[in-house]
Amino acid sequence: MLSETLVSDVLRRARLGGADFAELYVERWKRRNLRMLSGEVKEATSGLEYGAGLRLFYGTEVVYAYTNDLSPESLLEVTETLVKLKGQAGQVDSRGEGGLDFRKQAARGLHAPEVPLSARDRRYRVERLLEAEAAARVAPEVKQVQTQLLEWDQEVLVATSEGKWVEDRRVRTRYVVTAIAQNETGMQTGTFGPGLSVGLELFDRYPPSEIGRKAGEQAMTNLRAKPAPAGTMPVVIGNAFGGVIFHEALGHLLETTSVAKKASVLSDKLGEKVASDCVTYIDDGTTPHGWGSSEFDDEGMETARTVLIENGVLKSYMVDKMGAMKTGYAPTGSGRRQDYTYAPTSRMRNTFIAPGDTPIEKLFEGIEYGLYAKDMGGGQVKPGSGEYNFGVKEAYIIRNGRIEEPVRGAMLVGKGPDSIAKIVAVSSDLETSPGMCGSLSGSIPTEVGQPHLLISEIVVGGQA
Amino acid sequence: MNFEEAKDYLLKKARQMGIDAEVLAAESRELSLSAFGGQLEEITQATQGGIGVRVVVEGKVGYAYTEEKTPEALDWVMQEAHENALLQSSGGGFIPVGSALGRHDLLGEGLSAPLEQKQAAALTVEATLRQDARVKQVPRTSYQEQEIQVVLGSTQGASGGYRTGVSVVMGMAILSDGGAPKQSWNVDFSREFHALEPGKTALDLIHDTARLLGARPLKTGKYRAYFEPKAFAQLLGVISFMFSAKNVLEGKSLLAGKVGERVASDLVTVVDDPTLPGGIASRPFDAEGTPSRRLTLIEKGVLKSFAHNSETARQMGVEPTGNAQRSYKGVLGVGHSNLFLEPGSGVKLQEGVIVTEMMGLHAGANPISGDFSLQALGLKVEGGEVAYAVENFTVAGNLLSLLQSISAVGEGLEWEYWGMALGAPMVEVAELSFAGA
Repeated sequence: MLSETLVSDVLRRARLGGADFAELYVERWKRRNLRMLSGEVKEATSGLEYGAGLRLFYGTEVVYAYTNDLSPESLLEVTETLVKLKGQAGQVDSRGEGGLDFRKQAARGLHAPEVPLSARDRRYRVERLLEAEAAARVAPEVKQVQTQLLEWDQEVLVATSEGKWVEDRRVRTRYVVTAIAQNETGMQTGTFGPGLSVGLELFDRYPPSEIGRKAGEQAMTNLRAKPAPAGTMPVVIGNAFGGVIFHEALGHLLETTSVAKKASVLSDKLGEKVASDCVTYIDDGTTPHGWGSSEFDDEGMETARTVLIENGVLKSYMVDKMGAMKTGYAPTGSGRRQDYTYAPTSRMRNTFIAPGDTPIEKLFEGIEYGLYAKDMGGGQVKPGSGEYNFGVKEAYIIRNGRIEEPVRGAMLVGKGPDSIAKIVAVSSDLETSPGMCGSLSGSIPTEVGQPHLLISEIVVGGQA
Repeated sequence: MNFEEAKDYLLKKARQMGIDAEVLAAESRELSLSAFGGQLEEITQATQGGIGVRVVVEGKVGYAYTEEKTPEALDWVMQEAHENALLQSSGGGFIPVGSALGRHDLLGEGLSAPLEQKQAAALTVEATLRQDARVKQVPRTSYQEQEIQVVLGSTQGASGGYRTGVSVVMGMAILSDGGAPKQSWNVDFSREFHALEPGKTALDLIHDTARLLGARPLKTGKYRAYFEPKAFAQLLGVISFMFSAKNVLEGKSLLAGKVGERVASDLVTVVDDPTLPGGIASRPFDAEGTPSRRLTLIEKGVLKSFAHNSETARQMGVEPTGNAQRSYKGVLGVGHSNLFLEPGSGVKLQEGVIVTEMMGLHAGANPISGDFSLQALGLKVEGGEVAYAVENFTVAGNLLSLLQSISAVGEGLEWEYWGMALGAPMVEVAELSFAGA
């Protein structure tokens, strides 16, 4: 995307100006977004995002600049401005002299799509979404169905003053089906949104007829559901997106972004027991075609499979380059950012609980009264106090070990990783599910996942 | 090519192609300074922007945008937008007839201050926070400013632009007095840098967080709820979804068909005012060039109007209200500017729970069904006074029933910024479900 000479000039200028480290991130990102509602195309959008971010380290201080103007004049001016900001424009740091000899690395295509963005007629997309919509209309009460298709083709270049030159390409596709069911009691929704690092073959992996039906059925379940109970009780959390509980309650607390500042309740706890024995938690940036996978992270490091917690013991944090400098932990290929408008920080990739050995039916056995949270929405956490929450999209009452009537509108809340210790049994049916995670370096695609599991007690925030 | 030239290039191209088009460009300059350990730990400086088109071909609408302003990229934009438009099966879309809207400057010299003063703002927040022994960690403090230029033009005659901006000071802190820690944040913003008070932002954060230390579990039950302004503003943000005529037409709003009906307690008046002097989201005209005006959505409990762009207004047979919303990357929607609940005659504490903050709104509040269940922090009120802090509970209900159960509205108005400016006083709700221990 940029000439080697220009990149080298920018990085060397920054080093001559006294920066210990300089990194240029360049991005060209084609995106398509198609939204349909009740058989009609509501909006179709195409976009080209194009920009560069320059990051300089002075000790542990970071200066960052970004721009859409990638002309040599503009990039050199941006560099000059950053150097001046540090008040060292007049100085010459001899460490920056001499040429930069880039070691070029390119993606091997591990997550490359079978069907690229430009392939297939636009009508093909519309027809698949129409299929999903038709399937979502499982009952006359389903009044509206919204479907949405997102297609991303992102090319990135990361070059550093340490001679790194990495080119990666991330193609991601996701579609989301939302069914709205309505009767005299109110309006309820059901939503499913599969996504992977693939092209339009996503529709073959997740047939629209199946995803549509699931969304429609969930809306109908919620329409007949009563308000969820309120109180503290045992909860069985469903697989796949259920993993959002760990994303909030553990994942965010293991990012060096907060760990380095001792702003996480899990700082300085390597080797300690932080969860019960049945919990093994893994963050894997290499899952083939995973929604949160890429061959390199946004700092140009190869991604890896990082075991965070093994049988309840904390094994590793998620570490970016600056996090490594501040904590001394080795980088884990976890430096991620939404786009060139953000400097990278340590983030999750595809994060999941490893399968356990408790048969699913055993999870429910012995529960006199509790909640089965079959499908979850998003959540949030405050790393400093450990207080976290996550919404429930589809839930049922458990009575005497049996799954009974549906309930709606529950939120599960907890405090501190001590409640993670209340996860007493993990089943073996691991599945993963895509989501968008928002934090300091923007909104990025991440997968969450888990098998069915049992929490001995947690606050269920319902109305009844 | 600059944005003005790119806009002219696109409009000329549209005329050549014989299609109607509306071009929206936005360019922003940003400065962000964050402090940690008495030093600036991160400095970000940026210029960024893009240009997006909405085209209409035989009533069919298509969109495309680019951040690269070369002729090739702009040609690609027009071609993609055209092809995207042809995907629509039915017509009905149009670019409204526009006029010369002028050039407006809402920012003036608001951000003019030496860099040192802005650095000092970030450092002051951190230093003030760290003076209090209960502050155990300061994960983030920052000063940020953004200057935005918006340019609008259409083949139907709309032409104008404005410049606006904001300066923001923010702090986040973890407090403990030996027991379990509490984490919170505070933010203050203004179009005038000199109106910010970094020290006060820090002291308010300490005060608001310290009162939550030593929190006890809350017993599950029904309580009278007192929402502090910051918390109610968050709920108002979710409720605003229902005012959008676009959501009404798409069958997603619980308020559909209720104009003229009582939808809230008669203490409730909700206004959206893009002309508010000093309002952080004030603007001279909306994303389609409809001039801004004050819009009353709910008056004394009665739904008076939805918020409209020209397309929703035409479909519902009313006048546009100046609520068209579009970013250069986005599509035509409906949005609010400075949306607020009008202050009332005051709230008198009796028995119940003060909700100081809510978390997880994106997951716990469903604007379509109106159901909400939210993790909250708060203070237990007994005998008209704050008795102790409470934690690890949720507050739940339905947004429409909540509007109807509002039993008192406070006097002051405080503003939050969540994609739009949201203003609220303290709000008392007669009864809500709380789940805890």
